[in-house]
Formats: sequence, structure tokens, C-alpha cells
Amino acid sequence: MDPAPAGKQLRGATGGPEVMEPTLEGKGKEGKKASSRKRTLAEPPVKGLLQPVKLSRAELYKEPTNEELNRLRETEILFHSSLLRLQVEELLKEVRLSEKKKDRIDAFLREVNQRVMRVPSVPETELTDQSWLPAGVRVPLHQLPYAVKGCFRFLPPAQVVVVGSYLLGTCIRPDVNVDVALTMPREILQDKDGLNQRYFRKRALYLAHLAHHLAQDPLFGSVRFSYTNGCHLKPSLLLRPRGKDEHLVTVRLHPCPPPDFFRPCRLLPTKNNVRSAWYRGQSPAGDGSPEPPTPHYNTWVLQDTALESHLQLLSTMLGSAQGLKDGVALLKVWLRQRELDKGQGGLTGFVVSMLVVFLVSTRKIHTTMSGYQVLRSVLQFLATTDLTVNGISLCLSSDPSLPALADFHQAFSVVFLDSSGRLNLCADITASTYHQVQHEARLSMMLLDSKADDGFQLLLMTPKPMIRAFDHVLHLRPLSRLQAACHRLKLWPELQDNGGDYVSAALGPLTTLLEQGLGTRMHLLAHSRPPVPEWDISQDPPKHKDSGTLTLGLLLRPEGLTSILELGPEADQPEAAEFRQFWGSRSELRRFQDGAIREAVVWEAASMSQKRLIPHQVVTHLLALHADIPETCIHYVGGPLDALIQGLKETSSTGEEALAVAVRCYDDLSRLLWGLEGLPLTVSAVQGAHPVLRYTEVFPPTPVRPASSFYEPLRERSSLLPRPDKPCPAYVEPMPVVCHLEGSGQWPQDAEAVRRVRAAFQLRLAELLRQQHGLQCRATATHTDVLKDGFVFRVRVAYHREPQILREVQSPEGLNSLRDTPASLCLERDTRQLPLLTSVLHGLQQQHPAFSGVARLAKRWVRAQLLGEGFTDESLDLVAAALFLHPEPFTPPSSPQVGFLRFLFLVSTFDWKNNPLIVNLNNELTVEEQVEIRSSFLAARAQLPIMVIVTPQDRKNSVWTQDGPSAQILQQLVVLAAEALPVLEKQLMDPRGPGDIRTVFRPPLDIYDVLIFLSPRHIPRHRQAVDSPAASFCRGLRSEPGPSSLMPVLGYDPPQLYLTQLREAFGDLALFFYDQHGGEVIGVLWKPTSFQPQPFKASGTKGRMVMFQGGELVMVPNVEAILEDFAVLGEGLVQTVEARSERWTV
Amino acid sequence: MVARRRKRAARDSENRIPSPSGYTAIPIKFSEKQQASHYLYVRAHSVREGTKSTWPRKRTLFVLNVPPYCTEECLSCLLSSCGPVQSMELQDKPDLAESLKEPRSKFFHPKPVPGFQVAYVVFQKPGGVSAALALKGPLLVSTESHPVKTGIQKWIRDYADSVPDPEALRVEVDTFMEAYDQKIAEEETKAKEEEGVPDEEGWVKVTRRGRRPVLPRTEAASLRVLERERRKRARKELLNFYAWQHRESKMEHLAQLRKKFEEDKQRIELLRAQRKFRPY
Repeated sequence: MDPAPAGKQLRGATGGPEVMEPTLEGKGKEGKKASSRKRTLAEPPVKGLLQPVKLSRAELYKEPTNEELNRLRETEILFHSSLLRLQVEELLKEVRLSEKKKDRIDAFLREVNQRVMRVPSVPETELTDQSWLPAGVRVPLHQLPYAVKGCFRFLPPAQVVVVGSYLLGTCIRPDVNVDVALTMPREILQDKDGLNQRYFRKRALYLAHLAHHLAQDPLFGSVRFSYTNGCHLKPSLLLRPRGKDEHLVTVRLHPCPPPDFFRPCRLLPTKNNVRSAWYRGQSPAGDGSPEPPTPHYNTWVLQDTALESHLQLLSTMLGSAQGLKDGVALLKVWLRQRELDKGQGGLTGFVVSMLVVFLVSTRKIHTTMSGYQVLRSVLQFLATTDLTVNGISLCLSSDPSLPALADFHQAFSVVFLDSSGRLNLCADITASTYHQVQHEARLSMMLLDSKADDGFQLLLMTPKPMIRAFDHVLHLRPLSRLQAACHRLKLWPELQDNGGDYVSAALGPLTTLLEQGLGTRMHLLAHSRPPVPEWDISQDPPKHKDSGTLTLGLLLRPEGLTSILELGPEADQPEAAEFRQFWGSRSELRRFQDGAIREAVVWEAASMSQKRLIPHQVVTHLLALHADIPETCIHYVGGPLDALIQGLKETSSTGEEALAVAVRCYDDLSRLLWGLEGLPLTVSAVQGAHPVLRYTEVFPPTPVRPASSFYEPLRERSSLLPRPDKPCPAYVEPMPVVCHLEGSGQWPQDAEAVRRVRAAFQLRLAELLRQQHGLQCRATATHTDVLKDGFVFRVRVAYHREPQILREVQSPEGLNSLRDTPASLCLERDTRQLPLLTSVLHGLQQQHPAFSGVARLAKRWVRAQLLGEGFTDESLDLVAAALFLHPEPFTPPSSPQVGFLRFLFLVSTFDWKNNPLIVNLNNELTVEEQVEIRSSFLAARAQLPIMVIVTPQDRKNSVWTQDGPSAQILQQLVVLAAEALPVLEKQLMDPRGPGDIRTVFRPPLDIYDVLIFLSPRHIPRHRQAVDSPAASFCRGLRSEPGPSSLMPVLGYDPPQLYLTQLREAFGDLALFFYDQHGGEVIGVLWKPTSFQPQPFKASGTKGRMVMFQGGELVMVPNVEAILEDFAVLGEGLVQTVEARSERWTV
Repeated sequence: MVARRRKRAARDSENRIPSPSGYTAIPIKFSEKQQASHYLYVRAHSVREGTKSTWPRKRTLFVLNVPPYCTEECLSCLLSSCGPVQSMELQDKPDLAESLKEPRSKFFHPKPVPGFQVAYVVFQKPGGVSAALALKGPLLVSTESHPVKTGIQKWIRDYADSVPDPEALRVEVDTFMEAYDQKIAEEETKAKEEEGVPDEEGWVKVTRRGRRPVLPRTEAASLRVLERERRKRARKELLNFYAWQHRESKMEHLAQLRKKFEEDKQRIELLRAQRKFRPY
């Protein structure tokens, strides 16, 4: 283990509080410099710990300067808070291009310009005769069908201009792209070139010739082809400089037609420019049906003609306003974190810039606004405007010859027209992409309005990859299947329009189909956008099927998941036929209890986990039925992690049902306790205090039915005892239930006496339960174990004033005051805070059905990494609860899988040193209170544990992390989570199936110094292991219920007993790690500090020996003897003790 | 003096197991099978002048580093070869006073799991101590005649022991409560007798039981009174009434902003140092 001394840093940093040197205005430059230098000396960045700020009175209350007041006012008006302002400024600094780099790019651009102009021309040939092309270059276009009329010759471009974000200063690092438009001379083009891809063929040939000549130039590090915006008809040429600047910039060359070459009226969305006769090789149908319109094709041509005018528009609108440019840069970062700008049909930076222009022109944004305000306004606009229904236009003229918005809505799913009124800027964006954008914008607006959290971090700095954002994900592979789907869905016109790109053609109809089918089960369906390929100029362009996998993400709606029924219309309605047609053979006529006879689809699902996977059945069925995509091509990733929280021999359920059975049994018991007659005091409350009762126990308990031959009976106390000659019996953990008794003057006021009275109550309780309800009970001084329906509950009587009695201290003057003592805190925690937390989390489970699965998976993982005993159950439950209560920037998880991924993300990225994890249970903490908590946290940092979790019930002390984890254990967990997350995400995103999903659950064992291997015979929970053993021992349980009057063996877990002994004996020499769920090995880590030779001290001899070292008598751990002690203490349980490292040799 | 002692220790080490000055090391093993051994460090119990100790001088042996599997019976059995043992106690850490001899209830004070302990062994005769100091060892905790249970065997026995006997518990509770009730009753009668009776200086003790009960003397009660006073005063105060108050509150606001600004700057500094502004 890397002993990253987080704790040491902590102690070091809080040793002496330093006074911060203030750097306020009006101090002169000299002073500023000196103070900043001093600060860097005073707190080196490695420390990484915030300290409370201390300013002197004089600094705080001096007269403000004008400048300072202005800045403060500006912050108040233009930004949310000063912190946000500073953060935004820092971020912009990080993504913006520096002046130095701009100069280098400018120089490179000049070189490119010269070289492009010098490319020699070639004589005119037929378009189909491409023999003139040199050998080393291939045409970057799929020429299908090959035959096309027209001639081509190469001439140097008439004009070379830079277009796009580079000139505007809104391009952001990394991946700086500079778009250069090459205007092809008019001589190359002929009339009717807009028809039948002739223009695109010429464009491709133009680039091919250019590429061949530029590739020979030593100036360029790489010359490659790509597609403009992923459009398969429009290749572009990528140039990168040679040498160290290779990753600095990519120059993209886009050929474009001379201005006014194409007649705009020919390129309206209703017009056809790809003739069926040519494309499909058949004459149009004789019935005179019109040619299908080719809106996308037309748009692509139009895009090339409008490059320059768009640039002009953008530069006039954004040119002088820095705030707008900042806003565009922030929006680009926002999009990129959500993976919305990538690939074909993404919301590019260009569209966003135009959106800003639109908002400026409609006066929703003012040019003096700050970047943050622009971001906010655009998000607000996106969140509230559905461009799939109500398109917008930048065009101001009311020319009647212009097409109506409705025409565009017919042809495209998202409509945003440019200033010409003819070009749809969002032509390639699918409806579901836009809905995803809207969804994200809505979430972001909610986050910005909530004011509570660090909005900046969540909004702009947190990546939202698909696998972590969506509950379920499914991969379609291979993509060539979509070709068949296109035919099945009769999408020939779309194919003709898209130039044969069947992926784009099928995407829209497929998502609509699934959206309709999943209906109420789903919030949102998103699809991955095909990545834009890049290829060498000597290769053919990649085929459509090579663009990887189509991945769909489903955001489920938990309330819709509970139903297994898809209710259709009544049988005699006309819609019934439609319903039958949609669902095919799955649709059946059913008679319902209210007498209605309806069409309906019923899915097979018995348990929660199966119901969660109904979307899988829906998707498989619909795709096979309507799109001819067989099940083998669909890889649905929704439940591979479920296997880890499934019980023994259980495959159909993830345990929610079993937990509910236990909770119901507890409810029955609490009713019995309430109604108990004959207790001297009445029961005032019954509360559960066990993970089972808040649905977070990893493996739910099963009713025990002990086989008596397996045990040693102890009849006089009606109990069973384990037998030494048999394997260890099944582990039964009694579930604590706190039973509060009413207050009364009869309670003694002395702590010892209260304990005796409680013991008397425990005895009485056992007696009454046995008499009145025939339950098997066993009373001890502190609790009564009750066996009910095979579950064992540990009822603890509590008196609400007892913690107070334990706290009372009398001062010498006779003044009674209350001071916390370890005993009082412990009692308070067990009888007040734990039951409260249990009931609150029980409530959370009712709100979010996935909570149980997430919390249990998380706990399972932490324990499988052998770190489970460093963390209390409650602390891990609270971290899981935080994922549901504070999901920003995501939505609350609806499946265990995504919840677990976010757990790993949260654990690995949360700054535990500088922040408390606030879990606002029941939304009880107001924003002001949270601010208050944060500042008091900073002030009291040194006294608090390393991991601080704040809840409304526990605002100061972080009760559940008081006794651990230590800084080292937490650090180890953070490291492991950071390693596990990418591995697991990669597995789940692998379209060939996740492979061995248990990989991340297997702990690394090479970090331990000693391994103690245990005998499975005495591990009662052996079968729960991550890699479940093929065979294990009989644990003395009967399969069918039978009468048993004896109390089963409770809480007898040899590995745990062994660990307690080990920790007690060697706790100051070593740390012990073990997975309580069937671990076969205990990892031992020597503590380096205790292996330092120490001088002799009577109180510190434990397990050490005295020896001479350098003439001095020193004490060192007696390692050989200790290793033998390991075996002695665990006799019968320990198989071997393996010392693996030599680190302990002193 | 120190040098001489060290020299002597060095000389001893040539033929003996190294041990700190004043102590003798006795190797101890669990059984024959073990190779390596732990060492008991023993010496005659002695205290500095002036400190009190309840352990009898000369007859008490002080033992350090008793392994966890070595129980009291075991240790007295091992040391009985040196002379009859009168009593012995195993403790967590050295403690001069003998622990309270009052038998602790096994129901209400369960025995903790032992680690390495220290022992005070009181022999009947002083000779036992010197004999023990001369022990060579290695001592064996578990022998064929006196086997010591560890591991599974021990845990099963412990489990059986932990199954409670309700009758015994009831008896114990009853006897304790009887004694307690009696004690309380006595105190009450005493308090009643003293009520209203002035002491030798003429003071009369006022209690809660009197005709006019007074506030209990607790911290909570006094805090409550103070809080009530504070609220009363706050209600009467005028805010932003005088010009100077207005000015001061404005200044206070500015100071808050400045403080916040400084805090934010520190936060940013930290984030920048952690490279937290790289979005991807």
C-alpha cells in the first residue's frame, strides 16, 4: 500500500495557523509581489488544505477604494458569487489559446495559404475517368453509383479564407481546429452540378489532388482525410504541422463553390437533387409519383455556400463583446463535458455560437453580459424551447418566396434557420440528441437555481460519459445489421438523401420506435453519435459499418418500472389494430377485473431486478419485430453487476424481496411489543437499528431452520451450541431493535441502577413474549434475543434519559453540568441516532427503489477490497444516499449499475480533506445552514475525522466516521476506486460483452506483508465469496420448516472472533484486513512506525523483544514469535501463515 | 552509574538473553511445537520512595509481556515451581494499586478480549520472587497435562459460557436493587431530617423538595436564564437607527465581502495547485 500520508499532511498543516497576507488593491505593485511570494512560501501547494482566513481588523475595516467597490458591485451583478467569478476566470484562462500559440498558428496558416496556391493544375477529364490521379492517393468518397456525368480539372483555389471559431477567438483548447475555406474556381464547375452528387464528386477529387501535393511537403507532419461534421459526402483535408507543434493545431481545408454559383431555390428542403433513376438504377415508377425530396443533401450543398456569410454575421455580433465570446467558450466546455458536441449530428460550437447570435438579436442577451450570464441565458432558452416543434429563424426578411418553417419541420427534426432563411443549421441533429440537450439544460438550470452546491464544479468540470449518466446502456453491433433494418423500415428515400449512409438514415426511426415502445418506463433515450473518422490519404474512406458501435442510453423512470403490463386500447376500438401491429405476437386480448377487454402485453418479471430489466425484453422484441435486428446483435448492459448482490443459488432476484420479508417480520414483532400486556411501563417507541431494516444489508437474512443433529443442545437454557467436530454452523446475525419505554419518576437516577432496571425489563420482556405469543426468547443484561419466523431480533430496552444521566458531572461548587463521555456517546448513538438513521434511509428506499441495490453493491465492493472493517456500515450507506439526494449533475440513479459507477466516481474524486460530505436527508438543511456547516467545518478541521459526513441529525460530530477510517485506509479506498472505475466502465462499454465483471471486486493481495489463509470449514459465510466456491460445507440448516424450540447459534463467526483477538493483541504492530463475506484470507500489514527500534519502556513491551543494536538496548517486534502466535490463536481456523515480504526484518 | 549499569548489561548479554536493566528475560512458548518464543520480562516489584503501592513489597513479582493465550491459571501454574503463589492479577497496563476486590458482575461487566498483559504475582514467601528471577525457561503455556484451548475450541467454549442464565441474572438484579433502594431511602430520610435545620453557622439548605421549589443547580438551567435575558435585550435594541450604526453595518458588510473574497482566493489557489481547472 502506498502509505500516502494524508493524515500526516493533515497534522502538519494544522500545526500552526498562519496569517494570510492580504492582497488588496491600493497597496502598490511592490507590496503585492512581496506578499504573493510570501504566500507561496507560507503554504506550498502540496499541503492542499484549506485554512480559516484570518484578516487583521485594519485590513477588514479600511476605507475601500473605488476600484474595489466597482469590482465587488460587478461581481454582485454579473456573477453568482465571487468564487464563481474567480473560477470562471481560471477556467477560461485554461481553455483559451495564448497569444504566443496564436502567433505560431498564424505563421503556419500563412505557409498553408502559399502552398495551397502553388499546387499545379491538371487538364480537364471526365469525372468517371480518374486515371490521372497519382498512385499514392485515393478519392475520399464512396462513389456509389460510380457513373456520373460531368468533367473535372484542377485549378488552384480562387480564394483561401479562414472561417470559423479561430478568427472569432472562441476556439478552445485542446483540439484546436482552424477551418479554411477554399473557393473552387468557377471553371471547374458546370451547370447542374448540384444534381446527383456531381458537386461532391468534384469536391472530393479536388481534395484528393490537393492532398497528394501537400503530402509531399515537409512542412506538414500529417496530411489526412476526414469528414466535415461527419457528413459522408463531404470530405475535408486535415493538415498538421511537423515537429513539436503537431498537436497544437489542425487545419481543416473545406473546398466550397464560388459565391452565387448555386441557385438557392433549387436547394430548398422540398426539392429533389438526387434522382431515383440515377441512384437506384431504375426508372421512376410509371405512376408519375414525384421524386422524394432530398433535404439533407440540399443542406450540405447550402452549407458550403454560406461559410463566409456565417463568419461575417458571427464576427459582427460577437466581435467586440468579450462577455459573449466567454459565454461561447463556456458553452463549448459545457457541451463537451456532456459529450454532446462530438460525432456526426452533435450540437457543435458553431451552432451554439449561432444560438448566442439569435438570442442577441431577440434581445434575450445583451452584449455587456458576462460569460456566466450568457451561459445561463442560453441554457434557459434551451431548457424551455423545443426546437423540434417550434423552430426558430435568424432571417428577418418577410420574402414570400422563402419556404415556411413548417416545410422545414416536415423535412428535419430540429429547425434553426440561418439569416438567409433557407439553410437549417441543425439539419443533422436528431430529435433525441436535441431532447438530450434539453434535458441537460434543464438539469443545469435546476443546479444553478439551487444555489447550494458548487455549481461551477458540477456544471463545467464534471464529465458525464454515457455509461455513468444513463441507467441502462445497449450496444448494437455489428452496424451492418442496420442496412437490413433500413430495408425493413422502408427507408429508401432517406438512404437516397443521405448518400447511402444507413446509420444516419436508420437512427431517427429506430429511436422513435424504441421511445414509443418504452413509453412510461423511460425518461429519455439518447444515442451515441457515430464518431467522425480520420484516415490516411492512401486509403479508401472507411465504410459505414466501420464506425464502431451504436450505443443507446436509457434513463429509466422508476415509477414506470414497477408495472409488468402494457395496457392497450379496448378490443373494439380502431386503435387496437395499430397496437397489435406495433407489438406483434406479444399483444394479447385480456379481460380485466373492471370488465374491460383490452389488448395488452404482459412481460415476465417476478422480482424488482427482473422488472428493472423489462426494457431489455421490450428492446429485443421491438427491434427483432420491426427492424429485423436479431437478439445476438443487441448487447444490453443493465444487470451484469446484479450477480454480486444475489443470494446463494439465487438468480432471479437481487434480494429486495427477501429484505422486505424480514422488514415485514420486524413490523409484526413491533406490533407484538406495542401490545404487550403486563409490562410495568408501556412501550413508547419501537425502532429498528440494523442494515436489514433499511434495506442495505448486502446479503439479506434467510429464515433459519436449524437441524438439531448438527448442534450440541443446551436444553436447560433452550439454546443450541456449535460442535467442535462439525463445520461451523450457519451465521445468524441478530437484528437490533430498540424498544423505548416511557419515562417515569420510578426510574432510578443512578447509571448503575438504571442498568439493573433495564436488565429486569429484558427478563420480563422475554417472559411475557414467551407466555403471550409463544416466541423463543433469551434475555441477557443488555438485550433480549427473540426468534420469530426464523429471524432473530435483538430487542434492547432503552430509557431516554439514560445518556443524560451518564453525561452528568457535578462540579466542586455543586453545579450540575453535562459533559459527553464515551459511554454516553455510544449509548446515544445506539439508541437514538442509529434508529433515526435507519428509519430515514428506510424512507429513502421507498422513494428510490434502486437505493438498496446501490448501497449494497457499494458496500460489497468496499468489503471485497478487504477495507470493510475500516468503515462503519452507516457511513457507506450515507455515501450511497448522497448519490440519490445530491445527484447533480446527474439524475438520481435508477439502476444499481449506474449508482455503483457514480459511487466509485464520488469516492475517488471527492476532496475529503477540504469538504464535508453533506447528506441532506429529508431536505432538512437550508442553504444557509449548509454554508454555516461548511465554514464551521473549516474552523474545526483539526478535531474532525478525515472523512466527515454531515446529516441534518448530526451536524457537527460526524458520528459514523469518528472511529475510522484512518487517513491511510481512506486513501487506499480512493486509489482503488480510481483504478476500478475506468476498468469497469471499459468492460461495460465493450460491445462484445462485459467479460468477467468480478475483476474489480477481487482485491490486490500483493500489497500485504503477511497472508493468513483460513480453512473454509470454519468460515460460515463461505458461499458469499466474490468467486462463489463450487462446493462448500453443510451448515446445519434444514431445507423444509420444522418445529424447533431452541435458539439457534447467534453471531458465531470464527473469523470475526479471530480478528478481534488479533487486533487486541497486535493492534499496535499491524493492521488486519478481511472480507467478511466469505473471505478466505486475512491480509496483514505491518505498521512501519512500530517497527522503528524503540528504547525500553515498561508500558510498551507488548509482543516485542529487547535486543542490542549499535551498543544500545532497544525494543523491536518479535516477528517470528508473532507469526507463530497467528497460528496458535486461530488454531483450527488458520490453514497457513505466509510471510511474503522481508520488510519486517529490522 | 549509568555507564556501569550499561556495561553490566553488556556483559550479561554474552551468555544471557538480552534484557533491560533490572529485568530478567524468561522465554515463553505456547507449546513444544513452536520454534520462536516470546520473552517475559520480570523483576521484583519495587516503587520509588513516596509512591504508594498496595502490592506487598519483596513478595511481589512484576511480569511484563504476558502473551494473550496465557491465562491467570496458566501463569500461576508455571510459576508455582518457584514457590506457592498467594494471588495474582493480569492487567492491561502497569498499575500500582491493586484493583478493587469487589467481584464484578459477569453480566454487567463482561471480560474484555485479552492482548499482551502485565502481571503482578504475589508469592507467599519472598523466596518465590528470587526463584522466579532465576528461571531459565523456556516456559510452556500448554502442555499435555495442562492443555490450553485456543482457536475454534476456545471460541466454542466462550460461546457456551456466554449463553446467559436468566435465574442468576434475576437474583443479581434483585439483590442490587434491594441494596440500592435501601441506600436511597436512607439518604432521603437523612435529607428530610436536615431540612430547615440550620447548620453550625446558621445557614439553611434550600432543596427542591421544599414548599417553594427553586431552580435546579444545573448548567442547562443557568444557560436558559442567560438566553432569555439576551433575547429580552435584543428585542429592545434599535437597529440602523443612528447614522453611526448605519455606517458601521455597511462597513461590516464590506468586511464580510472582503473576508469571503480572501477565502475564495485561497480556494482557487488550492484548486489551481491541484490542476483542477483542466476541464478534461
